[in-house]
Amino acid sequence: MAAAITPPMTALQGYSRRKDTGPYVGMVIFLSAFGMCFAALFFSYSVVRTGAMSWPPAGTEPLPLGLPALNTLVLALSSWTFHRAYVAARRGQPVVAWLGVTFCLGALFMALQLVVWVSVYRSGLHPSSGIYGSVFYALTVFHALHVVSALVTILYLLPGALVGRYGAANHTAVRLSAMFWHFVDVIWVAMFLSVYVF
Amino acid sequence: MSEHAAAHDEAHGEHGDHDIHPEPTSFLRKYVFSTDHKVIAKQFIWLGLIFMFIGGSMAMMIRWQLANPGEPFPILGKQIFSNSGGIVSPAAYTSLFTMHGTIMIFYAITPIMIGGFGNFCIPLMIGARDMVFPKLNAFSFWMMFVSTIILVISFFVPMGAAGAGWTTYPTLSTTMGTPGVGQTLWVVAIYCAGASTLMGAVNYITTVIVLRAPGMGYFQMPLTVWGLWLTAILNALFIPVLAAGMILLFLDRVVGTHFFLAGTMVKGGGDPILYQHLFWIFGHPEVYILILPGWGVVSDLLSFFSRKPAYGYKVTALAMSAVCVLSAVVYGHHMFTTGLSPLLGQGFMVLTMIISVPAEIFFLNWLHTLWKGKIRLTVPMLFALGLVFVFGLGGLTGLYLATISTDLYLHDTYFVVGHFHLTMAAAVFLGSFASIYFWFPKMFGRMTNPLLGKLHFWFSFIPINLIFCGMLYVGFGGMQRRLYDPSVYATFKHLLPVNQFISTSAYVLGFGSIFFSINFFYSMFYGAKAPQNPWEVTTLEWTNTTSPPPHHNYDVIPTVLRGAHEFGNPEFMKATGKDWLGQAEELPAAGAKAADKETAE
Ligand code: HEM
Ligand SMILES: [Cu+2]
Repeated sequence: MAAAITPPMTALQGYSRRKDTGPYVGMVIFLSAFGMCFAALFFSYSVVRTGAMSWPPAGTEPLPLGLPALNTLVLALSSWTFHRAYVAARRGQPVVAWLGVTFCLGALFMALQLVVWVSVYRSGLHPSSGIYGSVFYALTVFHALHVVSALVTILYLLPGALVGRYGAANHTAVRLSAMFWHFVDVIWVAMFLSVYVF
Repeated sequence: MSEHAAAHDEAHGEHGDHDIHPEPTSFLRKYVFSTDHKVIAKQFIWLGLIFMFIGGSMAMMIRWQLANPGEPFPILGKQIFSNSGGIVSPAAYTSLFTMHGTIMIFYAITPIMIGGFGNFCIPLMIGARDMVFPKLNAFSFWMMFVSTIILVISFFVPMGAAGAGWTTYPTLSTTMGTPGVGQTLWVVAIYCAGASTLMGAVNYITTVIVLRAPGMGYFQMPLTVWGLWLTAILNALFIPVLAAGMILLFLDRVVGTHFFLAGTMVKGGGDPILYQHLFWIFGHPEVYILILPGWGVVSDLLSFFSRKPAYGYKVTALAMSAVCVLSAVVYGHHMFTTGLSPLLGQGFMVLTMIISVPAEIFFLNWLHTLWKGKIRLTVPMLFALGLVFVFGLGGLTGLYLATISTDLYLHDTYFVVGHFHLTMAAAVFLGSFASIYFWFPKMFGRMTNPLLGKLHFWFSFIPINLIFCGMLYVGFGGMQRRLYDPSVYATFKHLLPVNQFISTSAYVLGFGSIFFSINFFYSMFYGAKAPQNPWEVTTLEWTNTTSPPPHHNYDVIPTVLRGAHEFGNPEFMKATGKDWLGQAEELPAAGAKAADKETAE
């Protein structure tokens, strides 16, 4: 073997370091993709909204604010608890309590969201009753589907968390799930501000 | 979410490069629900070839109607168009061109080039044992499979398959324009195909980032991998925009939302043009998605078979990247006639023109690579040269469409059909076959027959040019696309002979694919056994593993020492006696120093 063309050691080290980053890189790309999908939905919203004379259109009642605001707090809190779960996993502490609390907060969000949908629907705003209803239901339901998927990832983590499988050397799954959770929360904030508040 | 789970599962399997996934033994795990990228690649290629046959047959029916308007389609016409006595009815014609475009783009080219060669080439060419997420990879194929089932079902529902064109503009694609279930199933099928493509894209991007063999930096990657990687990036970013459009269209059709229904000023309403924005934000990158793998493959093949380094390798890679970036900001050139603000229109026109600069750069690099090369006219090389020719031709016609003043006349004529077939259909068609002939020995361990291959080439290349240049001609004559029977209009009557000529050329093209089919099936079972490196080229899959490679690709992960185009270096020739040097090949000690200095340039 010719000494002159042996690759420097760093190439080999870099190789083995790179190999372990796969799941995070993959997750970042997935989230960018989901982000583009939501961006396209917000773009559609902005196009129909700028085309309307007034928003909400004349004769349509504005959406309720109280419960969605409460829900924003719930999600913010859940992001914090999930972060605690992740930190606990890295330190080798038990994660199951934090994960459980996060799950409950997520479920509470869905429950409140359901109340909002039912009350809005009862008040006469339907997906087919005009562009305002279309935007409201399409965006919130699409987001809620992501919340449900995020809840499923917690369900997937919980059995392992119960038997203490996650620790300093093995917290990839917790971290990936947390990344997705935070992503869904950030989308919600954008949705809350643009659909309900302004 | 499932991708989560998949990402998690794989996290365990890949520590250290010693663990080799054990080869599965049951038939189902080995050939059907395999997670081996080479098997998944073949599955995608089979799927793509079957749909290319279906989509191609549809093109023949379209051409029949244009050449012999109102005459029953020969042979199978009575069975296929039974309601109209074998004649292609206007409704059937609409479905035909819609499904032809859809199938060719999403179910033929995408599976072959991206699902197939993306899967096959990326791990092998970067020296990896498999994709980073093998299960996600298998899931991606099966998602595509589900999508094809939905698409096939859509042919047999009342009122038939989708008929709003592959672009599916509202209001034509709303329940008012196309009431049947077929159109709704189309939307679902495309959504699933998009999900499949997205899963693949995440896998490809991540694999290239994290699994390159030691020593392989981004600028040691073969250009094929560059092309496929850039494709995957565009896919990951823009398929979701199509998905959003499909979701809204689905809701409009099924739930009755109003996104694409124009409303009144007072009450507010949706906007049909909104769909066009969403579609083309995806759609323009999509055309590069389709051609980029071909560009990459050709950039490598031209160097391999000219026995010369790829001219301006780095510049080619960067120019392709520049095209990708620009492709995100030119989509408005599809909407010049929609009442787009003239200022925006001008902007899109200028940006579109700017894209031709990087495109020109790597095109000239291709020509430079050929210049004074020791060209070997093998079958893959012929197809590669064919791609260069038709892409160049098609690219030039794009300038007329990018210019607003000429586009106003040419928009929605056959000139557009000719343009996009030359750049996207013909070029990708030739690129797909270049790839198939080139990697066939590695995939199946057998050589293809060169004579049949050359017949296939000439029976493709000549008719392709006649067909699509003919389309440019009738388009310039004003003939609209998606027109059921041009011969009933006095202005287009004189174009009938040209249309008949185009159609005849198309039948010849269809006939030429018989040579391919014979070659493909015969060689798979009875072809001569392929040596490890029949083409005498430099990339890892040829130099460092057998044909076909074992389940784990490489017994030892190779350590890469140089780029992919080490040809004709006189120092190497002195040291090794051959005109090429593998990416991971160590030189005999003598002369290594001198030669290495040479490559450093
Ligand atoms: C095999 C040779 C092919 C022939 C003879 C052919 C012929 C045609 C014809 C005649 C039309 C226009 C129908 C009309 O406007 O009324 C058409 C449309 C189209 N073709 Fe092809 N084609 C071929 C291959 C391909 C391939 C490989 C692709 C894939 C990239 C492709 C993509 C399309 C698309 C996207 C449309 C537009 C469909 C629409 O208007 O919605 N074609 N083709
Ligand atoms: Cu375009």
